[in-house]
Amino acid sequence: MAMEQKEILRRPSVWQPRDPAEAVRLKEAFGPDAVYVAGSTLLRTQWEAGTAVMPPHLIDLASIPGLAGIAEQDGELVVGSLARLDDCRAHPALADKAPLLVEAIKQIAGRSVRNQATIGGNVVYRVGDAMPALLALDARLDWHDGTGSRTEDVSEWLRAPSAAPRVLTAIRLPIAEDAPTSNARRTFAYHKVGRREAFTPSLVTVAIAAASAADGSIADIRIAAGGGQTVPKRMTRAEDALLGKAPDARLLAAVHEAILEDYVPAPDPFAADSYRKKTAANLVVAALWKTFCRPAEARG
Amino acid sequence: MTDKTLAERSAPSLLECEINGEKVSLAVPPTRRLLDLLRDDLQLTGTKRSCDIGRCGACMVLIDGKPFNSCLTMAYQCSGKSVTTIEGLAEEERLHPVQQCFLEEGGYQCGYCTPGMIVSVKALLDANPQPTMEEIEEALSGNLCRCTGYGGILRSVARAIETGGAASNE
Repeated sequence: MAMEQKEILRRPSVWQPRDPAEAVRLKEAFGPDAVYVAGSTLLRTQWEAGTAVMPPHLIDLASIPGLAGIAEQDGELVVGSLARLDDCRAHPALADKAPLLVEAIKQIAGRSVRNQATIGGNVVYRVGDAMPALLALDARLDWHDGTGSRTEDVSEWLRAPSAAPRVLTAIRLPIAEDAPTSNARRTFAYHKVGRREAFTPSLVTVAIAAASAADGSIADIRIAAGGGQTVPKRMTRAEDALLGKAPDARLLAAVHEAILEDYVPAPDPFAADSYRKKTAANLVVAALWKTFCRPAEARG
Repeated sequence: MTDKTLAERSAPSLLECEINGEKVSLAVPPTRRLLDLLRDDLQLTGTKRSCDIGRCGACMVLIDGKPFNSCLTMAYQCSGKSVTTIEGLAEEERLHPVQQCFLEEGGYQCGYCTPGMIVSVKALLDANPQPTMEEIEEALSGNLCRCTGYGGILRSVARAIETGGAASNE
């Protein structure tokens, strides 16, 4: 008991669990007096800004072995939650099979922050700029709740986040394999608009993952939009309007309308809703136009 | 905390790591910022403090050869790692080639961003000795120069590339 008192006096203390179950037990024991910490880059900005107070106990998830790997497994890419953003950005399997995610990560903060920040932290934040890409890629999340692992769709986490003391252990990305005989073409687009060209918080981010059939019609499409404090969401009305059709100027005008309605940005004192709605709609429609409507030679 | 196993999981208050090539053991709270540890505990004041939130790059250091914002890094996160500050680049009286290029090309105005800038350039050229302009811009996007002296900085980087600035003095 004397040891216990000493530990508690030496605040703030850092706890280094050896597995996710231990991490959850620590969080259950300390409750609101503890926070999970991985790269701590976002937490530091909140502590410095005074929007959050450093609690007396930090639970260091980076101490858990085996959570930082990136591997292909049974037709999925499994990205450990503790993988640093810059390691994700540089990983050949991700560049090959999930270039949309790599493009999104490339535009998050600067390299030094990406050396420290983790993909899991970006997911748990819910408004991280990797999220629209993960939504468009139909990612799933592995959580450890202290007794076992459970997988949930990333859309579920964004729609109704559980507040249970659980640890995100991995992000699963389905690998889209094209049938070797088909002329189907997979395309993606990611666009982030902020106040500066680089190293800037986003105002609007959009991500598109699509597949077109041999006849030029859209066989499969997922469009996600977020940015700033807006929790990313799929633009389902726009997707429905596009499915099975070959986009032309008229269809894209309807898609533009659909996004203006579907995209509801979180309040921002410095950027009007109308501006951000228009930006999201313009980014999506411009990307679709470039991919599906420009003559093939212009696409290079 | 009733669980005995968990009680053993507390991070030690003794930080063991390498700083500028020397093994050190420091009795510091595990959450102490690396920036404060360097500047206040070790008087390595070449690493500059400015924004405190990882946006300006003035406090850039290398951890295991990669650039990190020391304001965002806590002591326990350096455990077992090798930290290099701007003081660790020069050898004796001889400047590191990247430092020499900044000096010769006027890659600074007030000089406050310079240590962080040089640390980021060293990390870039160590990993990629012939970067494109796009790669240079990306690698330096986390280093702000409020004098806006980017012209001189880019000249210095170009010269460091030409003269093989990635090479250390060894």
